Amino acid sequence: MGQFIIRRTLWTLAVLLVVSLITFFLMHQVPGGPFDSEKALPSEIMANLNQRYHLNEPLAQQYVQYVYDVLVPRLTTTPPTEMLLDQFLIEIEMNGVYFRWMNFGPSFSSKSRTVNDILRDQLPVSFQLGVMAVLFAATLGIPLGVLAALKQNTWLDYLGMSVAILGVSVPPIVMGPLLVWVFAVTLQWLPTSGWGSKPPFLMGFLPIDFSLDYFRYTILPVIALGLGGSALLARLTRASLLQVIREDYMRTARAKGLRERAVIVRHALRNAFIPVATVLGPYFAAVVTGTFVVELIFGIPGMGKYFVMSISNRDYPVIMGTILLYAFVLVIANTIVDIVYAVLDPRIQLS
Amino acid sequence: MKSAVWLLLLLTLIAMIVACAAPAAPATPQTIIVKETVVTGGTPQVVERVVTATPAATAVPAKPKRPNIVRVNASLGDVPSIDPGVAEDTTSITVVEETFMGLTRLDEVTNELHPGMATKWDISPDGKTYTFAFRKDVSWVRWDGSKKQVVKVQTCPDKDGKTKDRLVTAKDFEYGIVRALKPETASPYAYVLAFVIEGAADYNAGTLKDASKVGVKALDDWTLQVKFIEPAAYNANIIGLWTAMAVPKWVIEGDECTTRRGERWTEPGFFQSFGPFTLKEWIHDSTLTIIKNPFWIGDQWTPQPKVDEVTFSMLDPVPAMAEFETSNLDWVEVPLADMDRVRGDAKLSKLLTISPSFCTYYYGFNTKAKFVDDVRVRRALSMAVDRVGLIKNVTKGEQEPAQWFARPGLVGAPTMKDYPDLGVKYHPTEAKKLLDEYLKEKGLTLDKLDITAMYSTSSSHQKIAEYIQQQWKTNLGLSVKLTNQEWKVFLKTTKSEDTPQIFRMGWCLDYPDANNFDREVLSVGGSQNPARNGVPYGGVNWNNIKYEELVRKAAQEMDPKKRVDLYAQAEKILNWDDAAIIPLYWYTSVQVTQPWIKRTISIGGHQRYEHWEIVQQ
Repeated sequence: MGQFIIRRTLWTLAVLLVVSLITFFLMHQVPGGPFDSEKALPSEIMANLNQRYHLNEPLAQQYVQYVYDVLVPRLTTTPPTEMLLDQFLIEIEMNGVYFRWMNFGPSFSSKSRTVNDILRDQLPVSFQLGVMAVLFAATLGIPLGVLAALKQNTWLDYLGMSVAILGVSVPPIVMGPLLVWVFAVTLQWLPTSGWGSKPPFLMGFLPIDFSLDYFRYTILPVIALGLGGSALLARLTRASLLQVIREDYMRTARAKGLRERAVIVRHALRNAFIPVATVLGPYFAAVVTGTFVVELIFGIPGMGKYFVMSISNRDYPVIMGTILLYAFVLVIANTIVDIVYAVLDPRIQLS
Repeated sequence: MKSAVWLLLLLTLIAMIVACAAPAAPATPQTIIVKETVVTGGTPQVVERVVTATPAATAVPAKPKRPNIVRVNASLGDVPSIDPGVAEDTTSITVVEETFMGLTRLDEVTNELHPGMATKWDISPDGKTYTFAFRKDVSWVRWDGSKKQVVKVQTCPDKDGKTKDRLVTAKDFEYGIVRALKPETASPYAYVLAFVIEGAADYNAGTLKDASKVGVKALDDWTLQVKFIEPAAYNANIIGLWTAMAVPKWVIEGDECTTRRGERWTEPGFFQSFGPFTLKEWIHDSTLTIIKNPFWIGDQWTPQPKVDEVTFSMLDPVPAMAEFETSNLDWVEVPLADMDRVRGDAKLSKLLTISPSFCTYYYGFNTKAKFVDDVRVRRALSMAVDRVGLIKNVTKGEQEPAQWFARPGLVGAPTMKDYPDLGVKYHPTEAKKLLDEYLKEKGLTLDKLDITAMYSTSSSHQKIAEYIQQQWKTNLGLSVKLTNQEWKVFLKTTKSEDTPQIFRMGWCLDYPDANNFDREVLSVGGSQNPARNGVPYGGVNWNNIKYEELVRKAAQEMDPKKRVDLYAQAEKILNWDDAAIIPLYWYTSVQVTQPWIKRTISIGGHQRYEHWEIVQQ
């Protein structure tokens, strides 16, 4: 296990390096720059901007500098300058010595912020929403799928699967405004937009105040975001479970005289969860790093729009930051899925 | 077993939803201690008052007193920067102009220039040197989070340990302007200052290292002398822009009693200002709140604010509209998709206001490209577009059909009242005649005219482009191809040698003067007419010596009437004689405002909340 984790960590680093390299050179290939607008800035102003953000240096040099700034920790006795290009995600001061690590660079479009600020303030919000949405999807979808499989071809099955089809086919961009219209604008039961917690966050990512009011803000977006996932999980669980209960070892288990519940829980469900876990990993990664549409509709200050707007703004450091973040979470989620495989099915070895 | 756990979880979730959605329990009487800030003799004091709140759920529900706060929507995404030197978008500029005060200040409704921090200014006989006399009673202030009130900023203690209020001086303005021009600040709007102030361009470009050579000098604490390059009409106007504000040097660079905050000085808690409001809270990407500065010495143009706070949300227009309908926002811009519904709605239509907005939507020609290099083709295409139909069927915001480029209302711009026939008008038969004449002379047929129009990818631009394409088909029988590019790619294309024959573009004001339109956009070297060594190579790709001369002369003309006439002549060349662009419409701002708001509508888009009021029923 320990060896597995060490190997995975090294692989993760390699993957991130490759991802950063490809992203960096691809984004600079796209025509148009961060400071292009209707207004053609005079060349002197453009030169000042490029100078400030080091965009006038050769690309290779910019890339090496980026990797150096992110990867290599600094130990220094000079206090932070409070300049935006000199901000580190991790800054610890001890007896006048500063440990500073991970500088993801400034944002070109939010000119008073850095990518670190965005990660610190916006990622926790997306994370909270994403985790709740995944929980909602799993608690609704998996039992529904199990029920449908066990009562195959009964009204329960048909009802469950009809709901699932509806869930898959109504995307958040339709579901969101509909929920807002009914529950927020017409009935006025729930808030129209916003999020119930703000920075600073507990341990960096949890809301400080877990009040009822906090959950009033989460209900609608969690449903809009999680419903599609729950439908997907329900269909997948059903299909996978239907396949498993026809396996020979199920007959063996029954022949041994095990009770039906034990047969289903210990033999069927356990094996049926393997494809479900496979899907849950990337789904989790996609949802906790921010979702553009849901965050837009519900006015949630999360990461989602940075993924999209950074590209249309050619905000290079934010593009790099968001893509590396997504790659990182995806790799971690898949690692966890691999570990879960081994737990679910002893035949799978972590090597 | 496992499914039982899942079921339990599900039930808990449902219970939670129900609990949250249920109406709140009836309120019980409560004793509340209200903290009030009372200003007596210029010093605010916190007074505690014990109040017994009336429960809301009694037989006759008492109308709760409306909080004296204006809640508005900015735009999606964090407010980019409230540093005067760096601000460049509407919300950032609004916040800067509400928290600071320029040397001069433009009236947001009439566009007249009023005194700001400078009470008066003397102009030297050659019209180039301005000497501004300052008010001596304005103090720097900041929001004190621990005291929960706005406090005056104090100077560092002198040798007796005494402190004084830090007053806003001419030196602060000198520092602010020079800082904006500094190459390291990389201020996008520095070019406006560099354009008018002596030595500023060289200093900004880095060729002049000595800041004292820049034509901005504090003669003493209360006198600022500014040397301009030209004796132009808009000098006093530009020196009042947000880029030319004073900024607190002691916070940015630190001094013996203030911690250096560098580029973080605009964060709440560090931020210092002196205008009618100051920054209270900024939850990035979520809300920004400015609070009334009780020490602001109101004058007839910029009075003490009547509202206590203004909160800017950062929502997409669609959720913002929903927030408006649930009374959580006090005014919003109506999204295009909601336009018909708002108009049809009995309640909402009463809250609707449509006001001019200083932008022009137009199509430009690459006047050197094939076919459109002939003025007859360009003029025919321009005359063949029914602007009224476009507005009625597509844009729907009661925009005004444009006959020329610089929107009426701008200083120096011609108005429809005085120049009803200036520029270009919809005339399909004339257009057809003109095009036929061209075809006959060149021995061409309609299907040989291979013309492409390009727009930036967006559904609204697409709808407009398709309407215009249809107009050309119907009125001229001409099939024009449409193509589109992603915004930043499009910008690059339409300012390069590859500029297509026709391209769509819009322009909004930086400062309300026709110079900002006619000269800064379309003259040689302007935003949409890029040039190398005085020779255009992209955009409208157009050089008319007469036009260049007119806009240059108009900039220096001091007589307002003559000025308008010069711009009218220039517009005639631009839109008719040479038909380098197709002016389409002048923008409007379509807004809904709650009935309890008494407000002014800013024509430049930067609202002045010191003129707003909450009407308590």
